[in-house]
Formats: sequence, structure tokens, C-alpha cells
Amino acid sequence: MAKILIVDDEEGIRMLYSMELEDEGYQVIALADGRELLEVVEREQPDCLVLDIKMKEYSGLDLLQQIRKKHYDLPVILNSAYSSFKVDLKAVAADYYVVKSSDLTELKEKLKAALETKIPTE
Amino acid sequence: MISVSYTGEGLGMKSVEENPHNITQAEIVVGIPSYNEAECIAFPTEQADKGLSKYFKERSCVIINCDNNSPDDTRHVFMQTPTSNPKIYISTPPDVQGKGNNLRNLFAKAVELSASAVVVVDADLASVTPQWVRNLGEPLLEEFDYVAPLYVRHKYEGTIATNIAYPLTRALYGRRVRQPIGGDFGFSGKMARIFNEAADWTDDVGQFGIDIWMTTVAMRSHAPIIQSFMGKPKVQMPKGPAADLGPTFAQVVGTIFDLMCAYEEFWKGVKWSRPTAVLGFGLGEMEIPPTVEVNVQGLWEKFSMGVEARWDLYRSFMPPATFDKLQEVAGLPREAFEFPPVLWAKVLYDFACAYKKRAAPRENLIEGLVPLYHGRTLSFVVETEPMNTQQVEELIEDQCLQFEKCKPYLLERWAAH
Repeated sequence: MAKILIVDDEEGIRMLYSMELEDEGYQVIALADGRELLEVVEREQPDCLVLDIKMKEYSGLDLLQQIRKKHYDLPVILNSAYSSFKVDLKAVAADYYVVKSSDLTELKEKLKAALETKIPTE
Repeated sequence: MISVSYTGEGLGMKSVEENPHNITQAEIVVGIPSYNEAECIAFPTEQADKGLSKYFKERSCVIINCDNNSPDDTRHVFMQTPTSNPKIYISTPPDVQGKGNNLRNLFAKAVELSASAVVVVDADLASVTPQWVRNLGEPLLEEFDYVAPLYVRHKYEGTIATNIAYPLTRALYGRRVRQPIGGDFGFSGKMARIFNEAADWTDDVGQFGIDIWMTTVAMRSHAPIIQSFMGKPKVQMPKGPAADLGPTFAQVVGTIFDLMCAYEEFWKGVKWSRPTAVLGFGLGEMEIPPTVEVNVQGLWEKFSMGVEARWDLYRSFMPPATFDKLQEVAGLPREAFEFPPVLWAKVLYDFACAYKKRAAPRENLIEGLVPLYHGRTLSFVVETEPMNTQQVEELIEDQCLQFEKCKPYLLERWAAH
């Protein structure tokens, strides 16, 4: 069972995503901010990270830069209510960029693709 | 003091070296490959020196001009350019030319100097700044082994990268490096050793195939890659996509196909693609790159006349469905012309398979790809004409996705050969 880590400061989003993704068979961990993100990633070893961009105290784009230094190969999906952050170069370091919607079809598709991605290690 | 010495047989290549400060160790190396760049080389040398002094002042640094024994006095201009960091001049023997051969000398020298980071900038760069040296070098002192550049480029510049090198390397090796043949790079000491010892060197790699070779070897070596935003647009002599391709096209494409043969066990196991890390942010302050004029009629003529003379070649190795679709596209009127990215992906994959099988002499195959490249470029130019940079980048990403989705076609065709 793939483990998905969601970071979003909106409780409603965390609940919706947790419910829908658990129904799809994923194990879900949800964080309300990025304070301990690196430690949680280290400890939980998620298979994919779904990261909000505009949070009250943290920028998902800055968190992504930190993640890429330590966890180069962790799949990350940026998830934002705004499409405007797509033009920020920092977003290039994400596997996918999905604009938030109550319909999670695109998020689920990208999640599936991110988890299917394969690059031989040897 | 000027000393000239003839070094030993590094990778089978003798080189001339001028090392007046007798430098035997350096943490940071800036390499400037050149051939007949006497008019231009002083500027990147000065910028490299400023960058090293400003951002790496606590470390031992050296600037190396790796040259092809230029008859225009490049060596003298380089060595006489005032710098606070020491300089070394290296040259291939008089009968050996090519950017790749210059860099081959640089790899060996970087290993000899026990360098931690090597930054390469082109000698004819009018836009290089000290910050480029920092952006290409700094990540190598942290977690990364290979740094590729991210520039703001005009949408019609770099169409070999946009329509061939980027989508192919991404679909094959699974890493999204937007400028795999950008020309300016950074690599770690570890990567220098890998390059220095790599066995798959070819004549094309010794020329302009070197950039795609380095990027591909880095991907194949699982090197942590970062793309670094250079801040300023790359300014060289702009060439429109209808201009004469010279030998560059054959050297780049030939290297891609050679590496496909060498690394097939690796790329067959790759599915979809992953990003790299990125250094840089925003696009709000970007400078507008110089405009590139496109000769649309020239592209059309090169496409239509080129394919007309080569239908027998294409028919000899393409499956009927792809060949028929290509004929359909060639029959479209100029004003409604469109070369769909899915067809382009299949065409490139078919050429790669034919290259592997030697379905025709390899040089004829690559020559036969040129008109189709002009056709795809024409279609790209027409489609992106009303688009801004961001919209064009999204279209390029969509094209890459088509290459990834078509990969089963490549796997099937490759196995059949």
C-alpha cells in the first residue's frame, strides 16, 4: 500500500484528500504545515508528497527546494488553488502541478503516474 | 614565468600545456573551451575571474582555456587577460579539433588537479556574468554532481534541444533536463572522473556531441542533477531554425542514437520521467532574449523538397501506418501544415531503430532526418507564433509527454530489430 503525505493548512482539504485517497487504497498522513516536514519525510518514508503552495507560514515552493536536496527522488505533486505559481522556476522541481478542485480525478491520475514512474537504480 | 610542457598520453590524447603558476591542485576550475576565439575569450575569462573571486574566494581556483591550437592567437589573448586567479592553457595537438576533444583534456586536467567542482562556459558568450559561475558551481559543493543551465531563450532558438534532445533524453532516461545541450555546465570532481574514464567516446562526442553525451552519462550514472537558472538570456550569435545546420545536427543526433545503442538496458527500464532539483526562482525579472527571425518559406521548402527525394528511404524502415501518416502530413498545403508531435515521436523512434539496425548507412539516415526536422520545426513555429514564453514551455511539456506515451512503440520496434 503506497503511503501519501499531504501538507495543507486547510483542514477541509486534508479531510477530503484523506478520505478519498484512503478509499483508493492509499495510506494517508496529513500535516497542517511544513514545520517538521523534513523530519516526517525522514521518519515515515512516504512514497509521494502532495504539497500545498500557499500556506500561512510556509511556502510549498521553498519546502520543495529543501526536499530536493535531501530526498532527490521523492515524487512531489504541487497542489494549489492558483495556477499562477506554475511560472515560478521552483515549480519545475515538482513531478506534477495540479490546481485544486473538488473533483480529485486529475490529482489521482498524477498520483498514479508519479508512483508508476520508474528509473533503474543499477 | 611561462612554461610549456607536453603532457603524457591522457586518454590517448597528447596535449600542450602552459601552466605559468605551476598549479598542481585546485578546488574550483572554470573551463573555457575554444577554437579561434581571440576576439571573444577575454570577456568570459574576466567574468569567470570575477565570479571566482566574489563567490569562491576562500577556495583554490584556476581558469583553464582548453583550446584546439587556435591559429588566431586565442592562447595569447587568454593568457594576457588580467585576472587575480591563476590560469592554465591546454591545447589538443594541431590535428585534433572539436569542443568534445577540448573537454576531454579538461576532464583529465580536473582529475589531475583533484578539483571538487568544474564549471564550463563557452568562449563566445556575450552574456556570461560572475553569477553564472556561482550558479553552475555552488551546487557541486553541496549534494549535486551535475548542473545544467536554465536560460531564458527565444522560443525559436535552440530548436534541436526543444524538438529532439529534450523530449528524447527525457523519455529515454527519465530525467527532465530542459537544456541538455545548453553548452554551459557544472560537474563535480566525481563526475569528471566518470567522464574521464567513460568508454563510449566517439568522433561525434569529440565534436558537438559532447553536450548531450555529458548530460546522458550523468543521467545514466544516477548523478544527482540540478538545473540552475542563469538569470540572463544566453546571448551568442542567434541563428534561426531554417539556417544551415552545419555538422552540429548530425553530431548531436548521432550521439543520441549511439548512446541509445550503448545504454539500451538502462532506458528500456525507464517509465515516465522525474524532475531534477532547481536553483533559482521566479520569472518576473527576466530579460527579453534577442529575437530570432524565422524563414518560414525556407523551412517549408527544405521539408517538402527533402522528403520528396527520400520516400524510398523512409519506406524501407518505417512501419506502413507511420509512413502513410507521414505522406499525409507531407500532402498538406503550406497554409494548413501541421506535423503532430505524436507522429514526430514515432518518426524519431523509427530512425533510432533504423540506426541501430543499420537499415541504411548511418550518415544517410541522419541526413534523411533533416527534412523531417525542418517540417516539425515549421509546425512548431506556426503553432507557437501567438504564444508567450510560458505558453510555449507548456506546449513543449505536452510534446515531451507524447514522447513518453509513445515509448511502448519504441520498445516494440527496438525489440523487432
